[in-house]
Amino acid sequence: MNKFSDLPIKLASSVRSLRDFLDLLESHDQCITWPDPIMPEPDIREICVASGQDVPGAPAILFDKIRGYPDKRLVTGVHGSWANLAILLGHPKNTTIKAMFYDIISRWGSDKAQLPRVKPDQAPVHEVRIERDINLYDILPLYRINDFDGGYYIGKANVVSRDPLDPDNFGKQNVGIYRIQPHGPDEFTLMSVPIHDMGRHMQAAEETGKPLRIAVMLGNHPAMAMFAATPIGYDESEYAYASAMMGSPIELTESGNGLDIQAHAEIVIEAEYIHGRREFEGPFGEFPGSYSGVRRAPMFKVTAVSHRKNPIFENIYIGRGWTEHDTLIGLNTSAPIYAVLKKEFPEVVAVNALYQHGLTGIISVKNRFAGFAKSIALRALSTPHGLMYLKNLIMVDADVDPFDLNQVMWALSVRTRASDIMVLNDMAMIMIDPAAVNPGKGHHLIIDATTHMPPDPIGGDVEIVSPPSGPAIDALAARIRALQGGN
Amino acid sequence: MALNCPRCGGDQNRVEHQGKENGTVIWTVHYCTACCFTWRDTEPALSIDPAKRRKVFQIDPSHPERFGVVIPVVPR
Repeated sequence: MNKFSDLPIKLASSVRSLRDFLDLLESHDQCITWPDPIMPEPDIREICVASGQDVPGAPAILFDKIRGYPDKRLVTGVHGSWANLAILLGHPKNTTIKAMFYDIISRWGSDKAQLPRVKPDQAPVHEVRIERDINLYDILPLYRINDFDGGYYIGKANVVSRDPLDPDNFGKQNVGIYRIQPHGPDEFTLMSVPIHDMGRHMQAAEETGKPLRIAVMLGNHPAMAMFAATPIGYDESEYAYASAMMGSPIELTESGNGLDIQAHAEIVIEAEYIHGRREFEGPFGEFPGSYSGVRRAPMFKVTAVSHRKNPIFENIYIGRGWTEHDTLIGLNTSAPIYAVLKKEFPEVVAVNALYQHGLTGIISVKNRFAGFAKSIALRALSTPHGLMYLKNLIMVDADVDPFDLNQVMWALSVRTRASDIMVLNDMAMIMIDPAAVNPGKGHHLIIDATTHMPPDPIGGDVEIVSPPSGPAIDALAARIRALQGGN
Repeated sequence: MALNCPRCGGDQNRVEHQGKENGTVIWTVHYCTACCFTWRDTEPALSIDPAKRRKVFQIDPSHPERFGVVIPVVPR
């Protein structure tokens, strides 16, 4: 049983790969194969957008009849619904977001990583090896994700790089998700910025003149796709986190250019950083729901490609929300903010940073004295993620479920005074906020929707209704869902 | 016939790949070496017809210094 919830942990421990997970999803009616022939554009994005309208229950969709790509397979929406995430965590697919949040934070910080090694010549990812005449447009069924994207983006790759100044340090080896725009058959730009771990690697390589070799993994273990996007410490391993959090092994092998890669990845593109070269990149329809503009970005040269037989190219639809981006990383964005706050303030009950990577966040807290929640909010803004992303922050009491927007709106309606709003001017902000006046800098908003306490004056004669709550009510709710046919 | 890039209007393009069915080409992917735009000749006009594309998405690549650099090059 979990520490914080009464959910049984039935981990999908048999899942070793994307293929295994697709089987598991299919057994729960959460993976479908698109039956009709389709054109790369506009059909793929239209189907993805339509599927994304069902955030609670959308299935993964496998495409194997893409016109002009007769032997290629593409899957989207693997993490595109709460149902699919629940199955990955080993829970019924109608599990609440709140229950999944408490499940994830109960596993956070586990030190039980299992990372067994597979010899490269026995690793499925190396079944097919291409070292000459590489053409990414031939190997992958590439397509335009949004109407005005500058190219055919790879949006869900796990990119591995080592710190050029400490190449043998496993913890400093980074696995991250960065958007990739192919430029020709064997080159691509990769969008990272200096604050990213990989951005640090790129800057260090260029400063010292050292080579930077990377491995771009496509079609990954479903836990890796989640944790490659999670803001963890620079010297912490995403592989270790993913394995420990799932309670199951992630098998590693070595790429042809010396990086640790998933033995069961579908495709791995090996590449080398081209020092000093920048090319036009973008626009790309990004997670705030806006195009990011054209900039000049670093270029990489592909040196080899390994892939499984009949590989599956896994990609993502991202654009105006909600999209798979939000379900993929929402809970993993909330958990580390919670973990940081909880160390110093045990009064923090839950953190909901699901909305567009935390551009809006809601934190529930056991209010100790007047103004307390505002101080918690300020601390949240100095967490590694909050620093750049928590633009609008709503503070609510412990009796409000921050994942239930009806309850949050109730708190805003009955507990907020106009004087409870704080605007912090000219602070750090992500570059791609479409509301930005100066991209990279902006205002943060805190709305304190917690109850007023002395010495604040409280007028009138008000008592709040307390409906029955707790595990017994939660169990009744679960029973009602089960009686409806959920399992 | 030289193709012009739907985004910058230039003619510095190359063919990246062709999709075939039963030996017949059904689409061709092009790449503009001037502005780095990629397109398939079967895409909706909204994306690849210069007359129908929104002007805000057209670019002039002749002055690259006007575009920001994501990770500045380290002076050597």
